[in-house]
Amino acid sequence: MAVYDLLVLMHIIGTVLGVGAATFAEIFYTRFNSDNIITDDERSTLAVTYTIMRTGLFLLVVSGFGFLLYFRLTEYMDIFSSPSFWAKMTVVAVLAGNALLLQARLMPFLIGTAVSLTSWYAALTLGVLGKTSASYFEILAYYAVAVVIVALALRWIRARLHGTAQAKI
Amino acid sequence: MTTALAALLITHVIAGVVAIGIHNVVLMHLLKKAPNYIFISRIAWSAVALFLLSWATSTYYYVTYYGTAVKPRILAGDAPFAHAFFMETKEHIFLLLPFVALSIALCVSYLRAHPEDDRLRKSTAFLTLIALGIGVATAVSGMFVSGSI
Repeated sequence: MAVYDLLVLMHIIGTVLGVGAATFAEIFYTRFNSDNIITDDERSTLAVTYTIMRTGLFLLVVSGFGFLLYFRLTEYMDIFSSPSFWAKMTVVAVLAGNALLLQARLMPFLIGTAVSLTSWYAALTLGVLGKTSASYFEILAYYAVAVVIVALALRWIRARLHGTAQAKI
Repeated sequence: MTTALAALLITHVIAGVVAIGIHNVVLMHLLKKAPNYIFISRIAWSAVALFLLSWATSTYYYVTYYGTAVKPRILAGDAPFAHAFFMETKEHIFLLLPFVALSIALCVSYLRAHPEDDRLRKSTAFLTLIALGIGVATAVSGMFVSGSI
């Protein structure tokens, strides 16, 4: 298997793990918290899900830098002038920063989960789309709008399950 | 570029990125109320080793290849600031990183024996945040430099 194929495989596995774990982290949290109590079993299930998500992020970042190296060594420099490439880099940086802020309890949980979920799907979408006609700032504007929509959707779902007070958390 | 130089460049980037990732993990654990200091100290020392490896490989690449083969191309290209600003900044700031990583590893090793020292935990977390910031800035600078050839 060529190095490039190996990097593609690693990148796809990282994205699949990250997107899947982010989705299920949200589903599990919403279900587990429906009685407003997170038991030890539920906590350990969430911990495993977050570990898978971090593993996905690690694979995504390492394979991403592997791609950069590959392009550098093969002198294929077009990627560095691509707005979607820099937007994807920004989204991945937001993902890592958001995880730190959530851990430090400096990010409200509702916004943090919305940022995490949207960022994973944004990274997936940008990876699938590849080159787009949109500029860097246009892509980030779409991303910001998507974060707001996802936050409102999550708030609505939690309000239906737990009542308005719980949804604000 | 020879295969050996390519291998050095690959080692420099991958070791550096993994070390930055490790500092991210160290910071996440230090933000917990009761961190697992055995685990953190092990990975913090791994980060020191990886930064030193990244440092050594990049130094050889820089001295034997970058200055003669890459730098002139960047300076003659569309983005000479990639060398004049980003590489100049990166190569100087990166000098600090292995020593900051070493300080973090020493602090965490001390915390392993004295887990009750909460002030040191918070200070080490802050130092790790600074190391993470320097690491990310260095990595992004490297991307600018690579993209400007």
